[in-house]
Amino acid sequence: MIDGILIGLGTALTPINILFVLTGCLVGTFIGMLPGLGPMSAIALMIPVAASLEPATGIILMAAVYYGAIFGGSTSSILINAPGVASTVATSFDGYPMAKQGKAGKALAIAAYSSFSGGVIAAVFLLVAAPFLAAVSLSFHSADYFALMVLGLTAVAAFAGKGDVLKALLMTVIGLMLSTVGTDQTQGVPRFTLGLIDLTDGISFLLLVMATFALSEALMAILKPSGDDKRQQEMEASSNLGSMRVSKEEVREMTPVIGRSSILGFIIGVLPGAGATIASFLAYGTEQRIAGPEKGKLFGKGSIRGLSAPETANNAAATGSFVPLLTLGIPGSGTTAIMLGALIGYGIQPGPRLYVDQPAVFWSVIVSMWIGNIVLLVLNLPLIPYIAKILAIPSRFLLPLILFFSLIGVYFVSFNTFDIQLMVLFGLAAVVFRFLDFPMAPMILGFILGGMMEENLRRALLINNDSWSFIWQRPLTLAILLIAASCLFAPIVWSRIQRLRKGADRAGEGG
Amino acid sequence: MLFSKDRIGGVLLLAFCITYGVLSQNITLLPIQAKAAFTARTMPEVLMVLGIGLSLLVILFPGSHERPRLAGFNWTTAALFMVLMSAYGLTIRPLGFLLSTSVFLIAGFAMLGERSVTKLLLVSVPLVVAFWVLMTQGLDVFIEPLPWFLKG
Repeated sequence: MIDGILIGLGTALTPINILFVLTGCLVGTFIGMLPGLGPMSAIALMIPVAASLEPATGIILMAAVYYGAIFGGSTSSILINAPGVASTVATSFDGYPMAKQGKAGKALAIAAYSSFSGGVIAAVFLLVAAPFLAAVSLSFHSADYFALMVLGLTAVAAFAGKGDVLKALLMTVIGLMLSTVGTDQTQGVPRFTLGLIDLTDGISFLLLVMATFALSEALMAILKPSGDDKRQQEMEASSNLGSMRVSKEEVREMTPVIGRSSILGFIIGVLPGAGATIASFLAYGTEQRIAGPEKGKLFGKGSIRGLSAPETANNAAATGSFVPLLTLGIPGSGTTAIMLGALIGYGIQPGPRLYVDQPAVFWSVIVSMWIGNIVLLVLNLPLIPYIAKILAIPSRFLLPLILFFSLIGVYFVSFNTFDIQLMVLFGLAAVVFRFLDFPMAPMILGFILGGMMEENLRRALLINNDSWSFIWQRPLTLAILLIAASCLFAPIVWSRIQRLRKGADRAGEGG
Repeated sequence: MLFSKDRIGGVLLLAFCITYGVLSQNITLLPIQAKAAFTARTMPEVLMVLGIGLSLLVILFPGSHERPRLAGFNWTTAALFMVLMSAYGLTIRPLGFLLSTSVFLIAGFAMLGERSVTKLLLVSVPLVVAFWVLMTQGLDVFIEPLPWFLKG
């Protein structure tokens, strides 16, 4: 492991990589701060730039953008109560009241220290867990991988909101369907190309991500303007950030919260499909319960614990979601799904072999997480008053620019104008389905895992003489598929039990 | 509610899945694969069944009965942006990067309410030129800057 860390340090600490960590954190903070644009859009916008870089540098850049975007999201949550991303919604519960009390600087500092601690502690967990899991997963067969991908996709549904399970599953299937467009990898047969040569290579992953996130988010903002005037008024109100100093007592209050939320966030992040949003809400709820009645009352009114818990947990979860990506090649979240696509674009296959074949990429990603967190704390925090000025840029200038960067990002990769038209079409479809409250992230997960899933299933059948018996003959495959089934059916069974219990209680009261 | 958001989405995706299923039957198979357990059609056929099944479940058991509200949205502006993006795709080659992108940005800013001609020009043109210089000189990505009639 020491050798690995040294490799990682050697790669991540080269001047060019440090420069890209700095740039990534800064750009990520900028983009994450814009209401409506989250880490997924931020990373998607970076892919064309990352594609022209060395794999390790490109991944380091995207990882830095990821943390930067989460940090930026927290800033807009605290300053103007407009979370850039779902994972920082819980941050606004106590961060915004603190800002209104004239303690915006302190709230930002607490958020930054908590994010830093959560990220660093989780990176230590990742350092231990990833090589161990990678070593274990070296014994996995194609059948197990197929089962793992089924688990990854069904887990998305398990963590979807109430009533959204079916929609999440359906969107996953749509993503899988889109992944089958193009020439079949094994038999060279064109599928769903509609006779168009431009579709022979399939739908570009970057195109789909840009269209469904950056483009459609900008179009949604055009459809329903949030009002620049209000945003500017809020900015003026919070232009005086106040002191950024955190007292010893406050540090003492934050420390146990950070410890608990880091562990919770990391575990939630490792679970496929869960991610930073669930981690932040869970940490907030847990701390409110632990705080007791007196301190619990302060939650929602500017509680330090209430701000520190979700900030720590969302960063720890962001780090945790790299575990399944780096060790199994299965993304734990929409954001890591985009990173997986980028890795595949470099010709790197994430999974247990990554640890052996590409140690520089593997370790430099882990080490860059520490560097990224340090950059956010040392550089971005003091710069926040200046970076926050971006919130005052009118959306009439910002939105066309976001559209332009999305379109040109895709065009610069293929130099094919057909891609721009296809992107507009997907953008339109994404707007329609967002408007109808259908989730987009499961579709991206399905799209990215589709090709690998088909290949592993085909290989498993080939090894097993065209027999599907591998599903129940290999205990590991069966166990993973059973977990997937329980992920899928547990929420349904649980809601049935709850309903039956309520019915029994009512009958008891009536009797 | 008959026309809830979930149901409308379910119907749209059901239509997509049926079309996908019909098109999956056009995938040509080699004669030797006729009896193979896994062919180029296997995955699409499984997905078609899953897709149609799930769409029907969404239609029959919608999670929410909320109806879509169309009022209060800038539909015209959003539609115009769609047209603008498509036009940008069609003109980027014949008009060159500098002109087509400047026109795209100026039209975009104007459509969202910017009326000052000075601001429109000062924000868009320098940005487009700077971006082109950065891409061609900084990242070695060449893109034709000028329209067809000015090319040498």
